[in-house]
Order: sequence, then C-alpha cells, then structure tokens
Amino acid sequence: MDTLSKAKLAMDTVIRIKVVPGHHRLLQEAEERINRAFMVFRSIEQACSRFDVNSELMRACRETGRPVPISPRLFEPLKFALAMAEVTDGAFDPTVGLAQEELGFNRHYLTGETARSTADRLASFRDIVLNERDRTLFLRTPLVIDLGAVAKGFAIDLAASELKDFAGFMIDAGGDLYAGGLNERGELWQVGIRHPIYKHSCLQTLDISNQSICTSGGYERKSPLMKGVHHIIDPKSRRSPNEWISCSIIAPFAMMADAFSTAAFLMNAENGERLIEQAGISGIMMSSNFRIVNVGGI
Amino acid sequence: MANMSKKWIVLCTAAIATVYAAGYWDTESQATIPNAAADDQVLQAASSEPSINNTYKDGIYSGTGMNRRGSIQVTITIEQDRIMDVEISDFAMHYSESDIVGLPDEVTQSQSATVDNVSGATYSTAAFEDAVQDALAQAAIH
Repeated sequence: MDTLSKAKLAMDTVIRIKVVPGHHRLLQEAEERINRAFMVFRSIEQACSRFDVNSELMRACRETGRPVPISPRLFEPLKFALAMAEVTDGAFDPTVGLAQEELGFNRHYLTGETARSTADRLASFRDIVLNERDRTLFLRTPLVIDLGAVAKGFAIDLAASELKDFAGFMIDAGGDLYAGGLNERGELWQVGIRHPIYKHSCLQTLDISNQSICTSGGYERKSPLMKGVHHIIDPKSRRSPNEWISCSIIAPFAMMADAFSTAAFLMNAENGERLIEQAGISGIMMSSNFRIVNVGGI
Repeated sequence: MANMSKKWIVLCTAAIATVYAAGYWDTESQATIPNAAADDQVLQAASSEPSINNTYKDGIYSGTGMNRRGSIQVTITIEQDRIMDVEISDFAMHYSESDIVGLPDEVTQSQSATVDNVSGATYSTAAFEDAVQDALAQAAIH
C-alpha cells in the first residue's frame, strides 16, 4: 500500500511523519494533514521553547508576582508537568530550566543564540501557581520553566489527532514515537527499543498500535561544560542521575510516555518502577549495570 | 491503581480537547501576528525592553551543508522575523520509498532494517547545523 512521508526540523530534532492513507484517493488529504501535523509541532515549539527568548513560555517566565494569562498550548503541558512533579514529590520538577541553562543546555538549535536568565536557584515547582478558571500563570519567585519532558509528547499527541482518520500513521520525533492504526502491510507497527551502547541493535522489539513509546537516555546529549552531565538533570543535585542508562515507556499518549520516561530516569529503581506500575503503563529500562528491567506486564 | 491510571489519561485527553477548543489551529497564520504584537507591547511596557529590531528578511531560503554522508540541504521559511519552517529538502514529500534516503547518520543509525521504527534518546539536529546557518546567513539583515 502507498505511504506518504515527510521530515522537518523542529524542537531541536528531526520530526518524521509517515501516513498510510488506506486508499489512493486519500493521498491529497493525507498531504494536507501531514502539513497541519507539522504546523502543530511549530506552534507548540513557539509556545513552550526554553531556547527562544520570545516564546510565550520565556516571556511569561520574566513576569514574577502577578498572574499572566497564557494560552492552552502552554497551560496544558505545564499543568501536566506540575501533576508529575506533585506525584514524584519533586524528583521531576519543571523548574529545572535554570540548572539546565547553567550547564550549557541553553543554545537555540537554529539561531545559535544562547539564553541566560537571572532566577532564583532555590525555586521549585511549588513556586508555580496555575489558575484553572482564569487560565493564568503566577510565579512566586523568578524561575525558568523547562517543558522538555512534556511539550514534544504533547505535540505528538496533537499531531496524532490530525492523522487519526487514516488507516495508519507513524510520528517519529527524534526517537519518541506514536504509532497509529496499522503499517503499510496491514500489520501492527513493529518498533524497536534502541540499545544504548550497540546503537545498531535493539534491546527489544514490540508490536503496537495506537500507542506511544518514548525513551529517555543520557547517551545523546552531553553537557558542553561539565563532564559526566547530560541533558536530564536532577533538579536537586543539579547533576545527571545514574540509576539508569535508558528508560522507555509505552503508554496510550505520548505526553504520558514522554513525562514518565523522564520521571523514571530521575528516580531510583524502586520508586521508578512503582511510579510506572501505578500509572498502569509499561516500561523497558536498562540500569547502569546493564540489567534490562521490564515493568508493568511486558 | 486503576484510578491513578485513569487520572493521567483524563489529563491528556482534556489537554488535547482544550487546545482544539481554543480553535486557533485553522486561523493560526492570521491570529498569531496581532496577538503576538499585542503581547509584546504589554510585556515590553512591563519590562522596558528595547524595541525589536528585525534579524531576518521574510522569505524562503535554502542552505547547504556537509555531513559524513555527503551534502544536505534545508529550506527555511521566515515570516515576521520568525523561523516558521525548516524542511529537509532531499526529504520533501515523497511516496513509498525508503524513509531514510538522504538523511544523516544520526537519523539512519537510529533505524534498523527489521523494524518500522526505533525509539531511543532524542538525537540532536547537529548534523543540519551548517545547512541551517547557510540559509540563515542569506536571510540575515546586515
């Protein structure tokens, strides 16, 4: 069966979208829908990017002590991140943005501009107040919010809802995936979990449909400033955790898979596994001593 | 346990519905410009930042760069001084070919012949940097 695919850069990675239209006369519509799906990524990036001083997020972060109205495309992923911070008691904390900036994760991937914020190093997610009724954000102290663990997942989910009427589609945002329907052979999508060390092989493969798989790992993005530090940073120690080498989560929504893979990566084995089990989702992880751990009935 | 699981699904479902209910998707190109301008004025008044000087000329620019597999080309669209789109030119809309022809190692390495796709830690866009810089240099207002 014919497929249609396209790739663009967004959110500092390569976004690839593939659609199995299901019928030849749907090709034109598939092309339009793919373009809309890419627009979703750009739109969420413009709202939620920490690397763009003019994003809605960074403009809002410069306002302390007064409620600022924010759009749903920023409000919703932030709300999800705060729920995750709450349930992990701050092991996952979206106010990690300042620490990330200070460790060199502050350069815009297109313009090369670097962001430097002045903010309160003691701030935590409890200094962020979202008002559901007025749709406002209130910061008690200057802080830098990072939505790196939710915004891409959310964009994938929104893009998926643009493509849901086709026989099948795959959205691959640099290794975070959502597989909808069936592949071009009419089968479940077969997805591999990349081996963190032997990069051409897979830890495991899974057959999925209407599910997301997101992976958090420290093996792709290293700090330019500090040895042994990568882009996932413990908000309290301001260093990278070393319980896991790779955490992959399988969930019905990419925002869930994205946030839970980062949260589990930040926690010790016992707490991380409990977090995944309680959410009713599944995980495939590799611990720092190369043990493969399957959680939640895989 | 079941309730915990439901909570996250409800959050995701509601988040998607809320963004769609805001209804800006279809009118994005018209709606963002006045809104963004209004927001900027409000926030600038509060933070007394200098007025915005444009960095780029609006238009469509293509740039070329080298990576380990050879040359790679991107096409960048700039509107209202913002980078609105970065397309990998060799990978424009195409039908039923191999997915990864013309993409750099970072992308192809993460793939495998035996599966549809591979999930891994998010790779960066470093392989595209030269091509992007080439295109932005043409767009820059000197």
